[in-house]
Amino acid sequence: MIGDLAAVLRKELLHLRRDPGTLRLALLIPALQLTLFGLIDTTVRDVPLAVFDQSLSPESRELVAALEASRVFRVARRVASRDALRQEIVAGRARVGLELPLDLHRRALTAERSSTLLVLVDGSDASVAAQAIDAVNGLALSRSLEVLARGVEALPLEPRVQVLFNPELRSAALLIPGLIGILLTFSGTLLTAFALVRERERGTLEQLMVTPLSPAAIVLGKLLPYLGLAMVQLAVVLVLMRVVFRVPIHGDLLLLGALSVEYLASLLALGLLISARSRTQVEATQRAQLFLLPSILLSGYIFPLTAVPAPLRVVSHLLPATHFIAIARGIIVRGAGLLDLWQHVLALGLIAAALLLASTRAFRKTLS
Amino acid sequence: MSGASDGQAGVVVQGVSRDFGPLRALDRVSLAVARGTVFGLLGPNGSGKSTLIRLLCGLLAPSEGVVEVDGLDVASRGEEVRRRVGYVPQRFSLYDDLTVAENLDFYAAAYGLRGAERRRRREEAAALVGVASQGGRLAGVLSGGWRQRLSLAAAIMHRPRVLLLDEPTAGIDPVARRALWDLLFSLAGEGVTLLVSTHYMDEAERCSRVGYLFQSRLLAEGPPDALRARPDVTPSGTRRLEAELGPGVAAGLARARALPYVREATIFGTALHLLVDDRATDAAVARDLGARALRPAPPSLEDAFVRLTALQGAERPGR
Repeated sequence: MIGDLAAVLRKELLHLRRDPGTLRLALLIPALQLTLFGLIDTTVRDVPLAVFDQSLSPESRELVAALEASRVFRVARRVASRDALRQEIVAGRARVGLELPLDLHRRALTAERSSTLLVLVDGSDASVAAQAIDAVNGLALSRSLEVLARGVEALPLEPRVQVLFNPELRSAALLIPGLIGILLTFSGTLLTAFALVRERERGTLEQLMVTPLSPAAIVLGKLLPYLGLAMVQLAVVLVLMRVVFRVPIHGDLLLLGALSVEYLASLLALGLLISARSRTQVEATQRAQLFLLPSILLSGYIFPLTAVPAPLRVVSHLLPATHFIAIARGIIVRGAGLLDLWQHVLALGLIAAALLLASTRAFRKTLS
Repeated sequence: MSGASDGQAGVVVQGVSRDFGPLRALDRVSLAVARGTVFGLLGPNGSGKSTLIRLLCGLLAPSEGVVEVDGLDVASRGEEVRRRVGYVPQRFSLYDDLTVAENLDFYAAAYGLRGAERRRRREEAAALVGVASQGGRLAGVLSGGWRQRLSLAAAIMHRPRVLLLDEPTAGIDPVARRALWDLLFSLAGEGVTLLVSTHYMDEAERCSRVGYLFQSRLLAEGPPDALRARPDVTPSGTRRLEAELGPGVAAGLARARALPYVREATIFGTALHLLVDDRATDAAVARDLGARALRPAPPSLEDAFVRLTALQGAERPGR
């Protein structure tokens, strides 16, 4: 019995040794996951803040400095109107907008009446929004207490919080648009890679190569059905999101569709790149994992990008999912338009172009 | 026979080598196959047969030398060559999850056949190889023989001038094997040039010419009869005998190989095929082996290849 077990055991260890890919992956993925989960700090830090400071007084500067000192906020923009404040949030450049009244200076001194701070909060990320609101309230309260200690009756600073999108702070509004990005990653990259690797694995690619069909016709002909499939998938998820989860779509559906094609182009190219390097479907899956995992953890899908440690944020910005999730959330939750999202659109376009170039090159090489 | 110059050759290979990194898979191979004839390519596994066939259909480029198919240089006119070549790889490489008809339709379309013409050629090819009755079945559930017929049908729909087959009969039963070869000869009769690799000597015997690849080099090439009659196959001063031994043949083989005048010995049923020096008389051979009967045996094609391989080993002791 022990001898039998040893025989099978020895054979299995030989298999493992002959398959360095699996071994590498088995060791690498937990290390990667642990590092990412360990480094990611879910307490909210560096929330981008847009400030519309009407008073431009020492008091207003002090207040903003105190907000920054809490490390919860960092001033991303200073704007000159309430509309601009709102626009910064729609475009996703700021999560919170703070409007300091003209009379902050005077009222802070006299404290005849309370001075109202208008706080606009992007509700799309419910946890970030809640923590940001707490931080503003906390600061306002402690400031007020300082003034009260000097014997004034009314609370001198009174924040008036207005949650701009997703006012009920439901997590579905955040998660589902992000999920779209992740779902498309699976179908776009993995299915594409499989479609091509399968031909190689089964030996059918060789028969295809002796026909007069051009490589472009072969590759495009194989990719287009998966592009179509992914678009159908997108439609299904959007309908489910709208009807079952009741997440409204505030922006332009057509724009979302068009930018999804841009995103899918980058995913299909990546699938092609993976397939050019892989001999078997197992190998392709392993390669795809190395891309899918960061796409889930570093794209802002689960953790806000601000929670990702700075060096890893470089990786975040190189992932197509990061930009698409920002685009999907912007369009669906905040009603953002092309002009608001141009940076992400441009970044995604560049990534897609680079991947297409690399993948056609790699594929041509494997065919010859 | 025909060479590159007379334009009658369907396939011309001139001084072709192919390297894979440090490995030389083909070493200065030259051969020509006349139009409408069947060329048999033989050699042990790994000798370069598949590499040569893949060079001919343009899947690989030669490291040196020239490959011409139907009078066209494969390197510079690959696109035209592909339209004139049919290729049946060693491994079944049509789609398991498509039906017989769907596979044929796809390949007909891949070769540029459209509309009614596509349908006609597809049905023609299916009828010729006899898979018409299997049209609705998935290719994946077909037996080996049916699969090979289907592969052949897919390779001939565009009416290739040259047909390349890599071990088309490996692993299929004798009846299916015979049927496939009948088909190949009928194609040759229509003027198609065929190059077929095989391990079966009976198939090789039926070819117009055969080539024997060994360790990346073409050791011999010519009609089967000429190869058997080569002087180095049965050198002067030796002769080939068949010794009938009965049930003790296995012990007889060891005994024969220990005899100084026996150069080669192989079992055929209950008999030994021997290559012996003429200094030993028939009576001596019969006595030493305890043979019941002794008769002259002309060399088979296999004898010829075994002999050529042995000579090669003697010439290059390093390998």
